This record gives sequence, C-alpha cells and structure tokens, in this order.
Amino acid sequence: MTARRVAITGCGVVSPLGLGMETFHRALAGALTGIRRLPEEVARNSGVQVAAPVDWDASAHFKGPAAAQLDRVSQFALAAAAQAIAASGLDPAAADRDRIGVYWGTGMGGAHTLEAAYGQVYGRNDWRLRPLTVVMAMNNACGSNVAVRWGLRGPFANFSTACSSSAMALGEAMRTIQAGRADAVVAGGAEALLTAGTLAAWQALRTLAPADAAEPGASCKPFDKRRAGLVLGEGAAAFVLEEESRARARGARILALLTGYGNSCDAVHMSRPDRDGQIRALREALADSGRTPEEIGYINAHGTATVVGDAVECEAIAAVMGEAAARVPVSSTKSMHGHLLGGAGALEMAAALLPLLEGIAPPTAHLEQPDPACGAVRHVARAAERIERPRAVMSNSFAFGGSNVVLIAESA
Amino acid sequence: MDTLARIKELAVKELSLDPGTLDPNAPLDKLGVDSLTFIEFMFKIEDEFGVKVSDEDLRRIKCLADLERHVAASLQASGKA
Repeated sequence: MTARRVAITGCGVVSPLGLGMETFHRALAGALTGIRRLPEEVARNSGVQVAAPVDWDASAHFKGPAAAQLDRVSQFALAAAAQAIAASGLDPAAADRDRIGVYWGTGMGGAHTLEAAYGQVYGRNDWRLRPLTVVMAMNNACGSNVAVRWGLRGPFANFSTACSSSAMALGEAMRTIQAGRADAVVAGGAEALLTAGTLAAWQALRTLAPADAAEPGASCKPFDKRRAGLVLGEGAAAFVLEEESRARARGARILALLTGYGNSCDAVHMSRPDRDGQIRALREALADSGRTPEEIGYINAHGTATVVGDAVECEAIAAVMGEAAARVPVSSTKSMHGHLLGGAGALEMAAALLPLLEGIAPPTAHLEQPDPACGAVRHVARAAERIERPRAVMSNSFAFGGSNVVLIAESA
Repeated sequence: MDTLARIKELAVKELSLDPGTLDPNAPLDKLGVDSLTFIEFMFKIEDEFGVKVSDEDLRRIKCLADLERHVAASLQASGKA
C-alpha cells in the first residue's frame, strides 16, 4: 500500500495584518506591522502598552443575532475556516462528511465570554449570567462551531497546549489522514484573549515588550539585541488538508504538501525553553518528512522576542541544521503580527506558504541590531527577500509547558 | 405595543424569524428554534419584561402564544400590567 500523503488545498487567515491569505502574504512581503498602542485606559490599568488586534466587524461575517452567540475567538475560527473551505473548492455537502474531520487548537478558548461573566459576578455582584456562557467560553467551541457549520462528522480533536496548540492540531490532523481515519480535515487555530484581565495576567509574567516610544509598531524585535519580550496578538488561520490522491482527482489546486511533524516535551520547566527538547522535535519533523537540512529553504521561527527564548531556538536550529544553518533563511513573523499563542502555529504555517508559493522569504521586521547570541542562523532581517522557491519549509512552535511542535511543508 | 407584538418583534430580531409568516401558535421547534436558542431567548424575555420564567414554566411554553400568556399573567400578578 502506498503511503497516504496530505495536501493543503485551502488556507484562510484572520490576522492583525488583515483578512485572507493573499492580504496576509502581501503584508508580510511588505514588512507591515499589525502592532499598535492599546487604548490609554487599558494600558494604564494592565501595564500592557502594545498588542496586535484584528480589525474586525462581526456584522460583516454573521447575520442577525449569530455574532452575539459566538465568542470573538469562534467568530475568527469560523471566518478563517470559511475562507479555507471556499479556497479549496471542497463542497462538504457533496462529500462523505463522515470522512471529514475538524482538528483545532486554541490556548484559552472563549476568553472574552469568560471574562465578561467573571466581571459581572465578581465586579458587579450580578449573578444572572447568559445561558450561552458555557458553550461560548468552552475551549472546544471553535472547532465545534466549524464542525456544526459545515456538518463535518469525522474525527474531531481540540488541542490546548499554549503556543503549540494549532501546530499540534495540524500535525495530528496530518497523522489522522495518513492513518486513513479521515479523507480531509479542516485544521487550524484561533486565539482572542486581548481582554483586560488576560493582559494583566501576561503583564505579571514580565515577558511582554514595552512600546517602542518612537515606533509602537516596531515593539516586537525578535533576535535583536534590543528585544524586550513578546507582543500579544489575536486571530485565526485554517487549512483544508486532504488525502493527496483525492484532492488531485477532484482537480483541486494544491498549495503544498504537509509532510513532517515533530512533537516533543521539554519536561524540565513550565516556561524556560529547552534546547534539547526543541532539537528532538526538529529532528523528528525532518525524519518524518524524509528531507535533509539542505532541502529546507525557509524556517519560520517561533522567535517570540524574549531574551532567552530566541537564543535557545537559534542554538537548536543550528544544532539540527548543521552546515545548512548558515544558508537557510530564518525569520520570525511575530515581529509583524504579534504572538497569536494558540493560533500562532497555524498562522505561521500560512506565513511559511509565502516562500513555497512565491519564492519570497518574509522578514523579521525591525531586526536592525542582530544579537550575536542569535548569530548561529541566517536571518532575513528588516525586509523580505526574494529566494529560490524552496523544496520544503519548516515552522516552529515552542510552548509554555515545554511542548515543542515542528511542521514541515513541501511544494506540491 | 401589546405584549404579543413585543414578543414577536423580539423573536424576529433574536431568532431570525420571518415577521410576515410568523404564527404565534406554531411550535417553536417547528420554526427551527433549538433548545439552546430558546433558553437564550427566555433570558432576553426576562430582561425585556422584568418577569421570571422558571424551569417549570419553560417546559410548558411551546409557542409564542404560550409565552405571551405566561408574560401577561406574570405582569398581572406583579401589578405591572
């Protein structure tokens, strides 16, 4: 029996850099930023000065009362999935929907709903909560809403492993198709937690970047000597993954093949990244895809812009890539769209499709003073670079809790 | 506006029902209103009229006309009608 390969036939994006994969890719190619100052009152109370919000009008996507019955994170998920399904040309109504699954990732799920409910109970001593509070806030609401909307009755899973959630959703969806448990999976991730309480909790961790006084949009500076932490973002990305021969048989446009998945746990610390854990995930992804380091033509780094995290990741990449490390372009697109946490892996896989499809390596924007501690890899600094269209690309997602996920996609 | 008209208006807005063909005696489940949506709608009704809809009341209310009778009786009992 020949191995079942997994094709990416559709991609949808709801990001701080705009809606739709094309818009997202143009913004990345232009080194645009979605990072901006938070409203004065939020900044004063939480201490968080900048974030990367999505410019979002729910009424443009949902009719009547529907939007009010969905947390912001599920709104993002549904919009991204709608784009991906439309782009794929897959008609779930005409397909065997028992063979189409939904694999999703999110860190917090319905953060807006949960915080509104707690604010009402503890802030205003008003205990009469909306009946939909539970189903709007629950962590699996995004994926479930996607399944209900298109009647997708195959395997379902929801991953919540902080910053690797949606990368894991994509990797496990790939495995599910390879194993023959589904013919297609709508897979992705979403996050929408730019609420006052969540911002304050993140601020308490002392891991967020302050605003760049001169240029707030440049506050996130991965791999730069001046880097001072991450910038929280929100949004979603979704993909239609299909067993390759079926996708080809229906004449689908195949954007890329998803071929490599590495998954490891540091098992040493809740927040401090670990080089060895990352190395194990990177090696597993390469082995899984059957590609050598020389065949990787772009790496979308996790690169959150924390002092420790960026240096450790560069060491791990260099250790695994060997001599190729000096040649393979590496960037962190979080410099432009912020950190989508549970949605990051999916959005950054969408970013990694740009070099595969167009031969353009997106940059680490604002990388002007490279840190020698991050010097073991070749950075795409400040502006996008035109490169030879790579055979394969890699995307790293390394999470709090020690979860490491690495994905590899290849040209179709 | 009378009670039924206000309920109908709210139903059109919150349940996306067609005002032209809305039959107050039609069972809500036949109008495509599922149990979760119905509970959320009752929450809005309580807000709108300042009445309580108990779990027992919920089980008896099958259509908008039932709801109108319940709201009218509650308003009467509380002296708001």
